[in-house]
Amino acid sequence: MISFTFNNQKIEAIEGMTIAAAIFSTGEKVLRQTRFGGDDRSIFCGIGICWDCVVTVDGVINQRACLIQVSDGMVVTS
Amino acid sequence: MIAIIGAGPAGLSAAAAATRRGEEVIIIDSSSQLGGQYWRHLPSARNDSHSLHYDFSKAQKLFDELLSQPLLTRYSNSQVWQAEKCGDQFHLYILRNGVEEKVVADKVILATGAYDRTIPFPGWTFPGVMTPGAAQAMLKGHGVLVGKKVVIAGTGPFILPVATGLAESGAEIVGLFEFNNPFRWIFNLHGLLLNPSRIAEAFYYLKKLQKHRVKIEFGKKVESATRSSAVVDGTEIECDVIAVGWGFAPDVTLAGILGAQLGVDSDGTVIVKVDRRQETNILGLFAAGEATGIGGSTLSMIEGRIAGGGRGGLSRWRAQVFANGLKKVYPVPSILTKNLPEETIICRCEEVTRGQICTSIDELGAQSARTAKLFTRAGMGLCQGRVCGRNVSEIVADHLVQKVSDSERIAGGQRPLAAPISLGELGDGLAKKF
Repeated sequence: MISFTFNNQKIEAIEGMTIAAAIFSTGEKVLRQTRFGGDDRSIFCGIGICWDCVVTVDGVINQRACLIQVSDGMVVTS
Repeated sequence: MIAIIGAGPAGLSAAAAATRRGEEVIIIDSSSQLGGQYWRHLPSARNDSHSLHYDFSKAQKLFDELLSQPLLTRYSNSQVWQAEKCGDQFHLYILRNGVEEKVVADKVILATGAYDRTIPFPGWTFPGVMTPGAAQAMLKGHGVLVGKKVVIAGTGPFILPVATGLAESGAEIVGLFEFNNPFRWIFNLHGLLLNPSRIAEAFYYLKKLQKHRVKIEFGKKVESATRSSAVVDGTEIECDVIAVGWGFAPDVTLAGILGAQLGVDSDGTVIVKVDRRQETNILGLFAAGEATGIGGSTLSMIEGRIAGGGRGGLSRWRAQVFANGLKKVYPVPSILTKNLPEETIICRCEEVTRGQICTSIDELGAQSARTAKLFTRAGMGLCQGRVCGRNVSEIVADHLVQKVSDSERIAGGQRPLAAPISLGELGDGLAKKF
């Protein structure tokens, strides 16, 4: 198992899992809030097409949580 | 050197056919594993029994052959963001693990597949509302259940394996709704009779669903969603996930960038036009699988084989008849984008509502989907209109009491970049590696 943080919460994940899969496995669905409405968003297409699941990974914005695999110590924020 | 883009059924079949003929092949795919969406499976470190696949043997055979094929180079976790033809060669610009690099090929086979087609409804942006493909990818690729109580709806044969997989993995399917009537197959019987294995597959899912006491209801759809329920036919169903899909949309972006002729299929989707050998109007540029028209994995494999230089034969005709039947049996009714409430979000990226799109026509003078987009930013977000493009066109045309023209549909499939790239990645060819 490896672990990473999502909005300062520590999450354990199996190696090879995407960020979205690891977060969903905890029961959490909300990945970010929208720019204008501040509405909660999650995965939608799940395969990298819709960009609805974008999060900030190790300081880099607009990364698709459904595609990027977690690595140990990764810092993910909404 | 042949470059194949996409490692699903079409791309892998093309790679096998080409390497068997002694060709050097590079296969480029956004995933870390072979298989594409259709044969998505757990990482090799985790033991996958493939019980969620109806028949994984074809995939396994291709994986085994290709993984030990010395003529094959694999680029995984890679996305072609730009492509051009320079003389007789193709230059592909690739983002691979955050690094930008160029691949040069004499022949390119586009096997870019398709993604779920979606249509807005009130509440469809709530977390938990997703495509059947998303629910499937989480389960097959990671063994993660997206929810405990799931409603599955839309149209097409794909909702059956998704419902079956979720039910077998422990989710409660609290509703399974197919909008179209299966008796429509009666008018397309030849498609079924020529492909009896597809009937067997459907009964396999139905039997499993029956075991879990899941009943399919026909002629119904999800009308709206709240954060914890779906409204179907006026009845509220408590659930934590709603998976809705209306068939598939081919991914034609790279074909458009390379200047290949695009067309409109009988289901209104934009497709890459190819000849009998799967070649486009651009010499040396081939396309196979869902990008040339939605037809399922069998047809995709046959087309891939042909694109790789192999033979198709009668099997292609049989699979094509089935594919034609699918489009007739599971049409997406145009009524779905009509009469949506004003506040319904149409463009998810830029948060543009139906009301804003109509206002751009009524008050700002937009005369087409293109001008409505310029006024509202609908379709200008990160997904570049892949999700909303067709719906915006339908809504604008409906509001103007017009029909969406083929040229407008094709224009909607044209994008200057196949994936966003940061200036940092472009500038020094190096970005942060995850």
